[in-house]
Amino acid sequence: MPDDAPEQRAHETLSFHFTPVEAPLPDQPNPHAQPSTDVPEVVAALQERFGEAVLDVVVYAGEHTVYVEKSRIVEVCRFLKDEQGFTYFSDLGGVDRFTEEDRFEVFYNLVHLTAHRRIRLKVRVDEDDLHVPSVTGVYRAANWNEREVFDMLGLRFDGHPDLRRMYLPEDFAYYPQRKEFPLLGIPGSLPLPPQTPEGALTMDPFAAAHGSTPPKSYDEPESEEA
Amino acid sequence: MDSQEGFLTTTVDAVVNWARSNSLMPMPMGLACCAIEMMAFAGPKYDVARFGSEAMRFSPRQADLMIVAGWCSYKMAHAIRRVWDQMADPKWCIAMGACASTGGMHRCYGVVQGIDNFLPVDVYIPGCPPRPEAVIHALMDIQEKIRNDYTISQDARHGQAPAPAAAARPAVLTPEGEQRISPDVLYNQDA
Repeated sequence: MPDDAPEQRAHETLSFHFTPVEAPLPDQPNPHAQPSTDVPEVVAALQERFGEAVLDVVVYAGEHTVYVEKSRIVEVCRFLKDEQGFTYFSDLGGVDRFTEEDRFEVFYNLVHLTAHRRIRLKVRVDEDDLHVPSVTGVYRAANWNEREVFDMLGLRFDGHPDLRRMYLPEDFAYYPQRKEFPLLGIPGSLPLPPQTPEGALTMDPFAAAHGSTPPKSYDEPESEEA
Repeated sequence: MDSQEGFLTTTVDAVVNWARSNSLMPMPMGLACCAIEMMAFAGPKYDVARFGSEAMRFSPRQADLMIVAGWCSYKMAHAIRRVWDQMADPKWCIAMGACASTGGMHRCYGVVQGIDNFLPVDVYIPGCPPRPEAVIHALMDIQEKIRNDYTISQDARHGQAPAPAAAARPAVLTPEGEQRISPDVLYNQDA
């Protein structure tokens, strides 16, 4: 910096207000772990009640994840809701772990509102048997989440009151979040609207790139309707 | 005639296009975050009322400019096309932002890779999202397009090129009789 440059202004002292951090849990390497996700007593209750149906318990970053047998998931949810107080259904979703043995995974995030506790359940679904019992009988909020998983991965939720596609058109033939689905889609599977009011659907997804330009309205052919 | 009272000659097109270009009523097809910038474009700070387009019409029957703001899914494309078909002629279309113009960052199966695959777009606005000034610029481009390109006879002719205009003075009377004058002589002052 040249010598005749104006004197640099000192930075103003800014006062930051930090959110107080919860003390790290004992024996947890992750300092950000929240005590709300550390629920060994609930896991113990589940293991005592369901025994063999609790396939595995994983603790990662201070969060308990319980792998449950697919056929018992409704019972487990009912137990957690009625007897353990996990009344709030936070989330449900599907995962395609296509390199693993049971390919699909459905997770359930449940919250105990008054005790501030969270637990995550997981269910593995084999590709040959895509049926999962629906938990909408226990948690009505699971309705749209299960529809979304059906739409994206094609899992069938038995007992769901209205298992329709959530986002994609009803006649779409594929499940786009499966890993084998090409990112740019399958040409012709999602038609574009007609280029004129009475024209045919546009089946080419890149019509403009292939030289098609929708005609201006005064260029459109005359209507065949009187 | 009193010399204080002037008069003006013009064409119907010029008057109609002047009126049309200064009273465009946008149909705000807000699909994503670009719609927030479109609101700013209509709001008091950027004040599109200066250009006569502050009256957003949510009914396609009353709108003549569709601003498609945001990414458009294949499912939504059919609704947009239906709204577009319900708009009365003459009508114009702005593709606002990268997503509406090209699909933008949404290079995937569910998003239309540019609304010009199914709509006749007049002006594309780049940006993610574009600033309200850019939308105003696009509106001014549409106004310019209306004033220069559009004639009300286009609707009747279905886009065909107009017949060449007859020369204002096709012939003059000479001692030899009527003699045609070439347009070069009439209109080219340099010739």
